[in-house]
Amino acid sequence: MTAEGRTTFRRIFLLVGRLALGAMFLFAAYAKLKPQAAMPWSVGSVRTSLSMFAMQVDSYQMLSPGAVSLAAHSLPFVELAVGLWLLTGLWLRFSTSITTLLLAGFFALMVRTYSLGLEINCGCFGPGEQLGKKSLLRDGSLLAFSIAVTICAFLTRKKRGESVTSVSVASEPQRAN
Amino acid sequence: MIRRTFHPLPVAALCELAVVAMLALFCGAGVSAQTHPRAQTHAVANSDAAAAPVKSLGNRNAPITMEVFSDYQCPSCGNFYENTLKYMIQDSVASGQVYFIHRDFPLPMHPYSYMAARWSNAAAKIGKFEVVDAALFDNQVAWSADGNIEKFVAAAVGPADFKRIKKLMEGCDVNPNAGVKPAAFNNSGQVDHGCLLDSYIEQDKQLAKQIPVTQTPTSVITYKGQRYPAMPGFVTWPILKQFFDSLMKQ
Repeated sequence: MTAEGRTTFRRIFLLVGRLALGAMFLFAAYAKLKPQAAMPWSVGSVRTSLSMFAMQVDSYQMLSPGAVSLAAHSLPFVELAVGLWLLTGLWLRFSTSITTLLLAGFFALMVRTYSLGLEINCGCFGPGEQLGKKSLLRDGSLLAFSIAVTICAFLTRKKRGESVTSVSVASEPQRAN
Repeated sequence: MIRRTFHPLPVAALCELAVVAMLALFCGAGVSAQTHPRAQTHAVANSDAAAAPVKSLGNRNAPITMEVFSDYQCPSCGNFYENTLKYMIQDSVASGQVYFIHRDFPLPMHPYSYMAARWSNAAAKIGKFEVVDAALFDNQVAWSADGNIEKFVAAAVGPADFKRIKKLMEGCDVNPNAGVKPAAFNNSGQVDHGCLLDSYIEQDKQLAKQIPVTQTPTSVITYKGQRYPAMPGFVTWPILKQFFDSLMKQ
């Protein structure tokens, strides 16, 4: 593959990757915020969904009740923001890095819980999904994908930086003249 | 003029007969009760046997119903009972906000969990579920070591109630989980040994299958007829209370 071909592949991969990750984060936020048990959308039903998510966070047995409540009531909105940020394509190095850090945190938490033998719900995409090998494999794959997208974002930026530098270097003599 | 003749003798005789008959009835009942104590015990035992076990606490019409599928020998269930359910019973169940239902889901890897569920069901049949449920979880570590559940049930209820519970436990001395390894566990094999209480445990297990429940403890919360997704695992009381409050504010 030529250098130009590689750059094109990276750009396409970055585009697909950030769109996929963005959509996934938006879906994760939606699954946590959506009203449960056939309730209509309202502030009250969203609050109940967040309280339900708090129970899932609590079942990981890692945080104090206060910290659980804070995490559960803020995490879906963080996911929503990160999802939208990825879709916009702005400051990709930062957005993909934050995505990777978030996924790494989730994955580490899941591995710890699984190794402790706690049989709980994952809470990754709303209630009802058990934490097990399947969810670990999925989240591990997502983390690997996110790392690849982040690397791609850095490489693409570097390339752009290099090309910008070469253009400016090339244009400098003209200015001097 | 026709004079009506009064015959006092037959009237007196009739009154006498009536009094004698009443006395005979009264005394006869007393005598039969004294001479046939077993018959009365049998009547009580039969009513106990016929009664459905009430494994619930609180107001049936409470807006929130919380069903907990639990295994008496599972440490996480014990932890959940001691640190969450106890507070919930004192607070939300006592205030009429929550109706609590215990469901048996004895896991095959726990050798005494099925026996504990039987004791609990027997106690529930005579209205002593709450105290026996608490006694089983409070002393989980102790009876899990040797399987002596009876000792703690006896301590939790009075001698008369314990006698009734023991009567209900007749035919339940074979432990279905003893020596059964999880891989070889057969669900259908558990009802073949003549313990009448097993049908109640099996009913709960059937309910668990429908939800589905695969682990303990699993909480199923229903609010005004709407069932929320099953929640496996331990949840602290403040977070559970927060969920109840959010439901009540809806």
